Amino acid sequence: MVTLVPLLMMLVGCQGWDVEQIHDSSTEEVIFWHFWGGKDSAVVNSIVQQFNNSQKEYRVRAIAMPGNNLQAKLFLAVAGGDPPDLVNQDDPVLADWAQRGVISPISKLADENEVKRLRANLFPAAERLSVVDDQLYGLCNGLDIRALFYNASALDAAGLPVPRSIEQLDSIAEHFAAPGERALRCPVGYLPDSRRLWAWGPVFGGSFYDHRTQRATIDRTGNRAALEWMRSYQRRYGADNLASFRQADQSLPGKTFPLLPIAEDDDVGRYVALMDGQWRVRDIVAFQKQRKQLGKSAPQFDVCPLPFPDADKDGVPDGEARRNAGWVNGNCFVVPAGAKCPRGAWEFAKFWVGLRDADRAAQWYIEGGWIPPTQEVTATKAFQKYLEAAPLFRTFVELASSENQFPVPAVPGAAALKREVEALAWDTLMLPMDDQQLDRRVEQCQREVDSYLKGDR
Amino acid sequence: MAFFSAGEELRMSAANPAAKTASLTGLMFCAPWIAGVILLFAWPFAASLYWSCCKFDIINPPEFVGLENYSRIADEVASGRGAGRAILNTLYYSLLSVPLSVVLGVSLAVLLSAKVKGQSLFRTLVFLPSIIPIVASSILWVWMLDTDTGLVNTLLGWIGVPPQNWLNQARSAISLEGAAQIGAWFSDGRLLLFGSKDALVLMTLWGVGNFVVIYLAAIGDIPNTLYEAAEIDGAGWLRRLFHVTVPMLSPVIFFNLVMGLIRSVQNFTNIYILSEGTGQPGNSLTTISLKLFLSAFADFEMGYASALAWMLFVGLVAATLLLARLSKNWVHYRGT
Repeated sequence: MVTLVPLLMMLVGCQGWDVEQIHDSSTEEVIFWHFWGGKDSAVVNSIVQQFNNSQKEYRVRAIAMPGNNLQAKLFLAVAGGDPPDLVNQDDPVLADWAQRGVISPISKLADENEVKRLRANLFPAAERLSVVDDQLYGLCNGLDIRALFYNASALDAAGLPVPRSIEQLDSIAEHFAAPGERALRCPVGYLPDSRRLWAWGPVFGGSFYDHRTQRATIDRTGNRAALEWMRSYQRRYGADNLASFRQADQSLPGKTFPLLPIAEDDDVGRYVALMDGQWRVRDIVAFQKQRKQLGKSAPQFDVCPLPFPDADKDGVPDGEARRNAGWVNGNCFVVPAGAKCPRGAWEFAKFWVGLRDADRAAQWYIEGGWIPPTQEVTATKAFQKYLEAAPLFRTFVELASSENQFPVPAVPGAAALKREVEALAWDTLMLPMDDQQLDRRVEQCQREVDSYLKGDR
Repeated sequence: MAFFSAGEELRMSAANPAAKTASLTGLMFCAPWIAGVILLFAWPFAASLYWSCCKFDIINPPEFVGLENYSRIADEVASGRGAGRAILNTLYYSLLSVPLSVVLGVSLAVLLSAKVKGQSLFRTLVFLPSIIPIVASSILWVWMLDTDTGLVNTLLGWIGVPPQNWLNQARSAISLEGAAQIGAWFSDGRLLLFGSKDALVLMTLWGVGNFVVIYLAAIGDIPNTLYEAAEIDGAGWLRRLFHVTVPMLSPVIFFNLVMGLIRSVQNFTNIYILSEGTGQPGNSLTTISLKLFLSAFADFEMGYASALAWMLFVGLVAATLLLARLSKNWVHYRGT
């Protein structure tokens, strides 16, 4: 007993000290769920710390929550009455969450002028990611843009131009892997990916949802043209060749960027041209640095917007094909319904995206290699200077301002829409289908999606 | 020793205060277990039955819709999409993996019961895969089934079978397409036979060690006199196997058949890992269990997911009853 009492007193003392250190009685705690890890988590923690030091009203506590099943965790937290105050998510679920009442509209937290200013400032894609039924439900805090990376040295050596058109991209594919080859060998010029119909659809003039009629538009001519183009690769190389080559990409150590050479003496990776996102710029820079340290020459890599189809050759109606088009997704802050400190959450979200201080926000966007959602941040001197030093990254930032970058539409049932469109593209790439079978498969996908979007499911 | 029915005990306890106290004490000791059964079993069971007749997304209160979810399942079964596809995938996997597990399990048990040098080592090697955590073994299988560098395709290559796209193709070996492929193998040397469901069957067979242990114990229990009598009657090794070992193992085979069926229908973890939780490629890995999970926790259709769960439950009960009925023709219990 003699030992126990001082021990208990010490424990109580420590607890009291701890609480005092963390919570000032006048400070409200903001619980922030995010999924960032690795290098990104250091940047996130730095933003949180800077916010906490910048004011005394709120204190953000960041909790890294693995992205898997985030939705289930959030729903259960909301249903249990103890949700976080702010959540970062990157799935096309905003409209579903809004419709079910899981998240609160931003207009409840921000005044009208603030919302107006914000919407005027967001890039078109960032606004599409944040708005449901013309109401701001989330705040996009970073865009993920896709473009076509290519090995410029390999193209030069082969005497091939930078792919600006679909025809040129197909020529690259055929130059490095002749049609009819029984087994694809490295390097392959280019292979389409079934998950990227979302990008090629808009390039070919298609779209997957009409906000005016509130109907899915899987059967649009442009989408069909993009599918036919994807199918042409199955006819060139065979479904199994495509599947096995793609599977081997997954086996690369540490999610290596397949455009980069693997062996020290190679100058070409598994692909000569490949669609991917801006985060790959870091991989290229690291690769070139490593080669330099080894005293070896490195091939040159570059990036360009997705090649553009030809109206006559590629089955695209005149004037419908789009330049600087593609699929975009991004991270979005949302404030769950029942959050205990929604105001603090909103203040932190604004701080993050640079509505309070764009120059300061530019620093963490540079540090993280992230694309800001607003013009205000990209226009800062610091960010412009960064773009001068990182020309590959510049292409992505320029694409961010394009009107033709489309996310999965923010409508209820969007996750199912995404899933069904990807399944359609997979079938087109992997199953032998003639034109009529392809038409029937498109119709079937349209029906499936319609039933999801109508809420029959 | 006297035994009393619950009614008699209650009557006795009403008359005898000491017995009443003893009954209450007994009930108190049982209370945590009873509360557990009610809260964690009976209540969710009843709730899911009610939810199967509702539209429910966890967040908003359940909205009663009658048999709509069941009618949707029936529509999907008729069209072969959604739940229909999931049932077909599950049937393919179960009808292939369960009988193959039995055949392989019995064969291995018979071999491992032979008294040879290193018997314990062989037994350990067969049982070892069963104790590897399922997540680790699934990741291992993803490597082993790699088209270009996987061990399985390398082994197939040694016997002249071309590389198979185990994890990236939706095709099934036991199908019309599979039969056509075997024809093509003879004509032009191309063989594209196996797909993701076959990969899943292969993974299941790898973990057959659990069943082998039960078969081994049962083989050890077969009286030696039966083998001696068969030998005196002139039965060779094969006859002894099919006329003594297998009939004597039949109750255990029946038990493993039922357990294997239930396990195969409920199989989830390795399917989730192989398909990264999507049921891809081409929905070929969307089994009932994965469909149920995705409906409940990705689409938040708790009502529909509950209806699927009940359909699964009724289906399993029916299949078990059918197996039990059929077992009368082939299961031989000692002394009957």
